Amino acid sequence: MKVLYSRITNAIKAKPKIESLCEDLTLIGIEVDEIKSLQRDKIIDFDLTPNRGDCFSVKGLARDYCAFKDKKFSSVTKSFFKGETKFNKKIKLLAKEACPAYSAVSISNLKLKKKFPYYIKKTLKAAGIQSIHPLVDIVNFVMLESGQPMHVFDQDKIEGDIEVRFAKTKEQIKILGEKNLKLTKDCLVIADEKQPIAFAGISGGLNHSVSKKTQNFLIESAFFRPNIIKGKARRYGFQTDASQRFERGVDFNLHEDALKEALSIIQEIYWVDISNIETIKNKYFPKKKLINISTEDVNLKLGTDLGENKIKSILKRLEIKLIKKNKNNLTFEVPSHRFDLSIKEDLIEEVARIVGYDNLPQIKNDPITQHYEKSDYDFINQIKTFMTNKGFNEVINYSFLDRQALENLDIENKSISLKNPLNNSLNTLRTSLLPSLAENLEFNINRGQNFLSIFEMGKSFSNDSHMEELNLAGLIYDDEKFKNWNTNQNYDFYYLKGILENLFAEFRIEKIFWKKSQNDLLHPYASADIYLKNELIGSVGSINPRFIKLLGLNKAFLYFEIKVESLPRNDLGKLIAPSIYPISQRDFSFEIDNKVSYEQIENCIYISSKNFLISTKIFDVYDGKNISDGKKSIAFRVSWGSNKKTLSDEDINKEANLIISGMQKKLGAILR
Amino acid sequence: MDLDALKANLKKDFQEIVSQDELNQLKVKYLGKKGRITELSKNIKNLPSEERPIFGKKIGELRSLYEDLLNSVQEKIELQIINESLEKDRIDVTLPGSFKSQGKLHPLTITTKKITDFFSSKGYLIEDGPEIESDYYNFDALNIPKDHPARDMHDTFYLDNGNLLRTHTSPVQIRSIEKRGAPLKIICPGKVYRSDADKTHTPMFHQIEGLVIDENINFGHLKNEIMTFIDFFFGLDTKVRFRPSYFPFTEPSAEVDILDKKSKNWLEIMGCGLVHPNVIDMAGLNPKKFSGFAFGMGIERMAKLSYEIEDMRSLFSNDIKFLSQ
Repeated sequence: MKVLYSRITNAIKAKPKIESLCEDLTLIGIEVDEIKSLQRDKIIDFDLTPNRGDCFSVKGLARDYCAFKDKKFSSVTKSFFKGETKFNKKIKLLAKEACPAYSAVSISNLKLKKKFPYYIKKTLKAAGIQSIHPLVDIVNFVMLESGQPMHVFDQDKIEGDIEVRFAKTKEQIKILGEKNLKLTKDCLVIADEKQPIAFAGISGGLNHSVSKKTQNFLIESAFFRPNIIKGKARRYGFQTDASQRFERGVDFNLHEDALKEALSIIQEIYWVDISNIETIKNKYFPKKKLINISTEDVNLKLGTDLGENKIKSILKRLEIKLIKKNKNNLTFEVPSHRFDLSIKEDLIEEVARIVGYDNLPQIKNDPITQHYEKSDYDFINQIKTFMTNKGFNEVINYSFLDRQALENLDIENKSISLKNPLNNSLNTLRTSLLPSLAENLEFNINRGQNFLSIFEMGKSFSNDSHMEELNLAGLIYDDEKFKNWNTNQNYDFYYLKGILENLFAEFRIEKIFWKKSQNDLLHPYASADIYLKNELIGSVGSINPRFIKLLGLNKAFLYFEIKVESLPRNDLGKLIAPSIYPISQRDFSFEIDNKVSYEQIENCIYISSKNFLISTKIFDVYDGKNISDGKKSIAFRVSWGSNKKTLSDEDINKEANLIISGMQKKLGAILR
Repeated sequence: MDLDALKANLKKDFQEIVSQDELNQLKVKYLGKKGRITELSKNIKNLPSEERPIFGKKIGELRSLYEDLLNSVQEKIELQIINESLEKDRIDVTLPGSFKSQGKLHPLTITTKKITDFFSSKGYLIEDGPEIESDYYNFDALNIPKDHPARDMHDTFYLDNGNLLRTHTSPVQIRSIEKRGAPLKIICPGKVYRSDADKTHTPMFHQIEGLVIDENINFGHLKNEIMTFIDFFFGLDTKVRFRPSYFPFTEPSAEVDILDKKSKNWLEIMGCGLVHPNVIDMAGLNPKKFSGFAFGMGIERMAKLSYEIEDMRSLFSNDIKFLSQ
């Protein structure tokens, strides 16, 4: 809300420096967003919180300021007004609860008495309100001053009497700004005999608005219940000065006084005929709220030691009156402008505001006894640190991206879209982290990088039962023509697999299996799916070459993505003392069919040698010279040991022969 | 040759030795089949029996002298050999080491960790919640009913499956109370989303939220916790102010500002307050028995202040030159 500095000083009848005024207002919760100059004046832009509808006016701000500074403040402007002609329309409040009070007045024969006051125009300009018609300008000025929105109709366009009612089925209204709104039954309208003439508390209808040609005017000033106005304008995608005020709550004792104030300004400027003010009020007119509270309630919440008199006097400054006292129980009456006060805690905040938050004590907390458990967050951070130690830089990408990016990779299935994206490049939640990391790669290549190793820990989303899953993804890209003088690291599938094996070892995750990948994003013959027992937890490998161009790249990269939630959290368990007896080793070299996998060979070794076997380690795979076509040579070392004795040559020979015969029978391997 | 002369020769010979070869030759000269000590000891059988023990003893002394000299010279020669070979191992220590890339954590991760470490050490549990939320947890349960003007403060992204992207980490408060009951002391970092983008806003950002629920929690406790944290994060001489604000889920509510030493401006760093009784009630606890405080801050802002970042968007550009610092 933009307000002129001069209007505030006028209302508080004092002239504090603008800095100290703003500082004081800030300290009571009225935040200043910006200060700008307008001629010799200043415009202060306030960032009002939605609870403080009462501050949505110059007088509202002044009232709160004066309460804080313990200065006298009078919100009532003495307006001497008496109507001369008779108001000749009937007003029917059909929506009794929604609009329990309505005032209207007729104006005609407008003739300028003196120059239209400049301060009104300047006030409107500062607030960013367009000047439309002198009478509209005056009611808008009074709204800015008092907080009461009013509306001026062209009376000649109103057919018959006026009713305040809810919209009928399929009713429409064209509002100011030429917007045509299809109303629903919960929209409150002001209507004549034929049709709605205003969207109550929000905007007047275009067909009944004033223009230069208007001869006879009707001004409305009413009380609309906040919960009827709330959210209605927003539903149609707009807001008005009126809707913002009414949905927060406009002082229910203000509508007549504000109208009188507007009329007295009109009379000051014009020779004019004004009718009596027609006011209709019904039994639903709000009553002032009562709140019970004790001194102890206040002190218990604030940690203070305030006396009853102190609390009473603070609240009195805010026009919150003590009306009943029963031992410790104090009953306060909430003034008609404070819609935000309804429970004890609200009054406690009022006390705190006036005392000053900075003057409230600081109290050491008592320890809390709760069951403490290791959080998932620690696990996630450990993984992140592990990745940085393996040379990966952490990136953080937006969770949303262009749906096209998913479509390009055929991973848009089951994706979740945003109904109201910021723009189309951020319209869908990512189903995989790959498009994000690939985009990071393209971005960095364009900025001259030819090596990149990055990772991200973030969620992927899909319309499954889970909807969101925390994933760890990593990418390595190497296009360096000249490596460091002493380094010849080959970044291939096995490099990335090795890192993942390290990761699983670091976090004691066992029962991991690697199978030829079914993941369409990856190279069908040079990538693996990763299983934990029987559960697919991720994939690793080279990007499928068919996507390279689509991703704006010239060269493939290595990639992995795994589900973090599937990883077991295995703490270090029982430690086993190593055997005191020596370990025996034998090396083997076999010629074997090229299609036999290492996994098959390893299984065969474990099945063949059942006694004493500790581990096998492959140290060579070769399929070149001296090896028949379709065959390969593999060499591995097997280790045996016992924790009961030193193994004899006989023991070892027996096991070694079992391996040789097993390899031959099961896999057709020939010892070289 | 008599024993004394032999002894003198032995010492002299050893002094002149410079190589392993020469040392080997000396061994032949003295202890070989026809070596001098060997020859001499053969004489023992020609001596009268009463002289034999004395002579034997002398021969023994001679042998042990030989051993001592041999050991010391052997050590000297080995050292000499090592010293000579070292020269061949000469390298240029100014050449760079073998390349191993070292990654860095994202500045937001580092900032989050700094904050969670502090609160963890004070006994807070670190909690997490979903990023896709329901209207109920994001708004209703936090005392923000439908059509509440406060929903305007949250430019919410709605999803085609009827849910929304959480606009704050506060839903975790409700989920944690429901899960763990009271007393409760939690801190929840996480991603949040609002449809807003300019130099100081990104449509996705990070928040961290703290919640303490117990009997008789008051505003003084909240102030103390926040002040201790600010001392830790921004330093002991940081000027702080608390001012009234509005959040539907706290009452009273406050914003916390710190004074920027350079610009002399107050910078808003977090929102906080005593948990609104409606929220405690909605989460299933008795608001007459339990009270609590909550606080929340934007991690980007904290990172911005820590690392003097000009443009918030650079935190999400993922430029490796920025990240690898």
